[in-house]
Amino acid sequence: MIDHTEGFFRMRTLQVVVLIIFVVLISRVAYIQFFNADYKRNAARNVMRVDVQYPPRGEIFDRRGEYLAQNRECYDLMVVYRDMDKEGFDTMRLCQILDMQPRRLKQRLNDARAYPRAPQRVANYVSKEEKLRLDAEGFRGFYTVSRTVRHYPLHVGGNLLGHLSEVSQGYLDRHPEYSKGDYAGIGGLESAYEEDLRGKKGVKIMERDPRGAIKGSYMDGLYDSLPESGRYLTSTIDARLQRLGEELMKGKVGAAVAIEPSTGEILMMVSSPTFDPEELVGRERGNNYIRHLNNKRNPMFNRAVKGKYPPGSTFKLVQGLIGLQEGVLKPSDLHPCHGGYKIGRGVACHAHASPADLRFAVATSCNAYFCYVFRDIIDNPKYGSVKKGYEVWYDYVKSFGFGRQLESDFLDENRGYVPTREFYDRVYRNSWNSLTVLSLSIGQGELGCTPLQMANLAAIIANRGYYYIPHIVKTVEGRDSLDRRFYEKQYTMVDSKHFEPIIEGMWQGVNVGGTSTQARLEGYDVCGKTGTAQNPRGRDHSTFLSFAPKDNPKIAISVYVENGGFGASAALPIASLLEELYLTDTIRRPELLKRIKEMNIYYPAYDK
Amino acid sequence: MTSNRSGSLFGGVDRLTVLFYALIVLAGWVSIAAATYDETLPHLFSFAHFYMKQVVWIAVAAVVALFVLLLDDRYYHMWAYPAYIIGLLLLLSTLVIGKEINGAKAWISFGSFNVQPVEFAKIATALATARLMSEYTFNIARIGDLVKVGLLLCVPLLIIILQNDTGSGLVLGSFLIVLYREGLNKWLCILILLIASLFIASFLLSPLALLLLLVALCTFSEVMVSGQVRSRIIFVALLLLTAMLLMILSGLMFDEGLNFYYSLLIVSFVAAIGLAIYAFRFNLAHTFVTLIFFCGSVIFLLSVDRVFNALEPHQQKRILSFMGIINDPAGADYNVNQAKIAIGSGGLIGKGFLEGTQIKYGFVPERHTDFIFCTVGEEWGFLGTLTILSLFAALILRLIKMGERQEEPFGRIYCYCVASILLFHVLVNVGMTVGLMPVMGIPLPFMSYGGSSLIAFTILLFIAIRLDASTRHFALNKI
Repeated sequence: MIDHTEGFFRMRTLQVVVLIIFVVLISRVAYIQFFNADYKRNAARNVMRVDVQYPPRGEIFDRRGEYLAQNRECYDLMVVYRDMDKEGFDTMRLCQILDMQPRRLKQRLNDARAYPRAPQRVANYVSKEEKLRLDAEGFRGFYTVSRTVRHYPLHVGGNLLGHLSEVSQGYLDRHPEYSKGDYAGIGGLESAYEEDLRGKKGVKIMERDPRGAIKGSYMDGLYDSLPESGRYLTSTIDARLQRLGEELMKGKVGAAVAIEPSTGEILMMVSSPTFDPEELVGRERGNNYIRHLNNKRNPMFNRAVKGKYPPGSTFKLVQGLIGLQEGVLKPSDLHPCHGGYKIGRGVACHAHASPADLRFAVATSCNAYFCYVFRDIIDNPKYGSVKKGYEVWYDYVKSFGFGRQLESDFLDENRGYVPTREFYDRVYRNSWNSLTVLSLSIGQGELGCTPLQMANLAAIIANRGYYYIPHIVKTVEGRDSLDRRFYEKQYTMVDSKHFEPIIEGMWQGVNVGGTSTQARLEGYDVCGKTGTAQNPRGRDHSTFLSFAPKDNPKIAISVYVENGGFGASAALPIASLLEELYLTDTIRRPELLKRIKEMNIYYPAYDK
Repeated sequence: MTSNRSGSLFGGVDRLTVLFYALIVLAGWVSIAAATYDETLPHLFSFAHFYMKQVVWIAVAAVVALFVLLLDDRYYHMWAYPAYIIGLLLLLSTLVIGKEINGAKAWISFGSFNVQPVEFAKIATALATARLMSEYTFNIARIGDLVKVGLLLCVPLLIIILQNDTGSGLVLGSFLIVLYREGLNKWLCILILLIASLFIASFLLSPLALLLLLVALCTFSEVMVSGQVRSRIIFVALLLLTAMLLMILSGLMFDEGLNFYYSLLIVSFVAAIGLAIYAFRFNLAHTFVTLIFFCGSVIFLLSVDRVFNALEPHQQKRILSFMGIINDPAGADYNVNQAKIAIGSGGLIGKGFLEGTQIKYGFVPERHTDFIFCTVGEEWGFLGTLTILSLFAALILRLIKMGERQEEPFGRIYCYCVASILLFHVLVNVGMTVGLMPVMGIPLPFMSYGGSSLIAFTILLFIAIRLDASTRHFALNKI
């Protein structure tokens, strides 16, 4: 027992203890409620559902204002796993509406479980009708987000336009401004102008009610932002030409490129086989993609900028030009040809009148003539040695855009290949001369050019000595101009006065007599040069390089058909028909058109 | 001991206590309504609403309170032990027929209505404690009597622990307050509190910080007694310098030198031995006591550290989570975090009735039962929490006052028991929602939703009021 005083003291002590405890509790509460803003922020984050507002992607027009790529309304089905009604959810019903495999849905929901609060995508390419049915069904925790997908009304230009794909993890790492579920352009125009086309995403912050359904806008939309649609592009492509090109190239492997010489605008770019870009949109996308990937002819490979081919006889034009510029060749120079060039290993030639001057040699595509020219260039005593002479030749060739990227707006342009002097030094252990590399004179040997480079050569000749960097975009919405490199004349090292005899030869080859007479269009002064390139993969490649009209050229074109035989048999008629359509707006040779369209070339190398 | 034989039925009833009680119950009801309001239900007065159910419980509690007041106070004295026995039997029966909720097999279910016997066992234990300690022959200073009280408290505690409901069981620990008031040796009380606070501190602070704190604390208390400031400061400075020197030397001599913590530990132990001899020679009792306290604390801390490291990782995690050391929003801390977010987002005046997003959207778990305080915090802000806490503080202080004015020890002890139980509940419940205490799953008295808890607390409180009423009446008669 304790006495009264001690009891009183202990009561006071306990009262103080009680007060201290409450003061501690109150100050802790005050600290949480006043001095720490994190809690407020977190409370807001808890109820917010951030809905991304996808902008419509910029549409793409051809040079005449026709739609190449359009936008179509479409939805993504999203789920917030936490809000889902786990017991009452009718999986089969949802699968039925979306025409989706239940296994796949289960998989997606399983993935979503990892981030129960974050909206996760369950399905994309949900159509308007499906969206309405989903809305009527009202699955708890599910909602749709509006976005657009591509639609290609003309069904042309698969490789040219590129396609859209959901960004991969690797892409996300390189481009942090994207987030999961975004689309980005792959290949072609879509990737080259991604930044213009994509627009800017907006956000809409929603507040959820107790069941995860949307109650309203968070803070009355204070933090919301509207999406900005992407810029539309006007392409330099002529859709009619592109469509005809794709039809003509059907059944053949190769590429055709047409350029407007006075601007460098690419009028048409066909890589064959190609694919319908519409096939890479929608739920069948995956299957189609795999199908194309497994196709041995590789339709998703843009041969026009990435393919590397020997230029064949069309390269003789370059040879002649260099010779003229170097002064080792005069247009009137005559060289004999009796079935070929007979020195060294020699080069064979077809039967034609001999001797030939430059114009005739171009028109009739004489091999021997250009062997003389090539040897005269690099064996020129003024340079002291073959190797020095070769280096001079190499620089000339480079100035024509070969062996390097043209810096067009295609991001994945192939450089092509022109062997360097060091390359030959290595291969031939320093002992080589003009005869060793003689096949270069007729565009064979180690030379590799892309169809775009060849079309560019046609444009150079049409322009008499310069070119504009080829490009596929004419205007971008909201921009005054394109990159300035597209407006600068790129000069070759050959003077414009030397072009006349070559052009004369090309004109003769079409309009007087030579290898290209089939390409004649009455009243349009077509100039052209065939090429027949030997290659280790079977029949010769067929190529044709042309521009028209001779004065004030409107179109420069290069067609390359793998294993097509003579230049005149496959590539020439295709180029000619395209020129006819472009220049005359109509085609007056229906039999030729029909024959070429139906021409199927057998490719043992691809179709094994 | 007399009952109120006067004409007026509620003559001696302490109106203020009843007022506090009513206000807290009302605040609880409003909070429950806010926490569980479901706009999809057909009409406002549907009994599907939790708040309508709570209205029923409040009505029942009122009737029970009336009944408690009507009973003669002698009955409570008389029925204290039988009630205690019944309480123990009830607790035991849950082990057999109990229903498991949240891992604790602590409930007996009557259809859809669950009762937690521990709520009623608390009342019985409080009565029995009051009865035992108010025996004329009882003397807490006697070991035998202390053991008796200890047994009285430990038997129900043991059963509750067996139910895996340790949180509720620890309430009985709060009876330390009662024991203290009734004359338990104050050093024993201080020792128990010291161990408890050292235990908590050992998780909150790093070993080095704790050691430094202990050195500072002991030096300070020694200075307070001896009054010699200068020499003590020099002593501490020397201690730290030597420790540093030892650290550097050991670093030079061995590849892995001692760190500062171990150097200080060694140096302070050596110094403690020297000091002990000094204090013994010169008969300095307070220095000696301080030294014992220091050494005891250090040894205790070292052993806690050792024991803790021997625990399973998940157990460690649970303890650490309570200490706020692991901050893993989706893991063990999730509930506390959401609770803190709810309270913290309330600010000064709160978001308003039915506007708390944390509450109504269900981010806070158990928001109408154990975490009801979050509702107050989010919707009524600091003004709300301050009001509620003040009401509880006033009620507890009032109970102490009521206890002190009792003539009979029985009434006083019982009032203190009630005060201790309420204090413990408020401290732990509010403490856990603000991250000061571990999550133990005990309700906030009078506010948490649930009939069993509300009725039990009502009975607990109103017995105290009843006992107080008759005493005052008796006292008035005497004058």
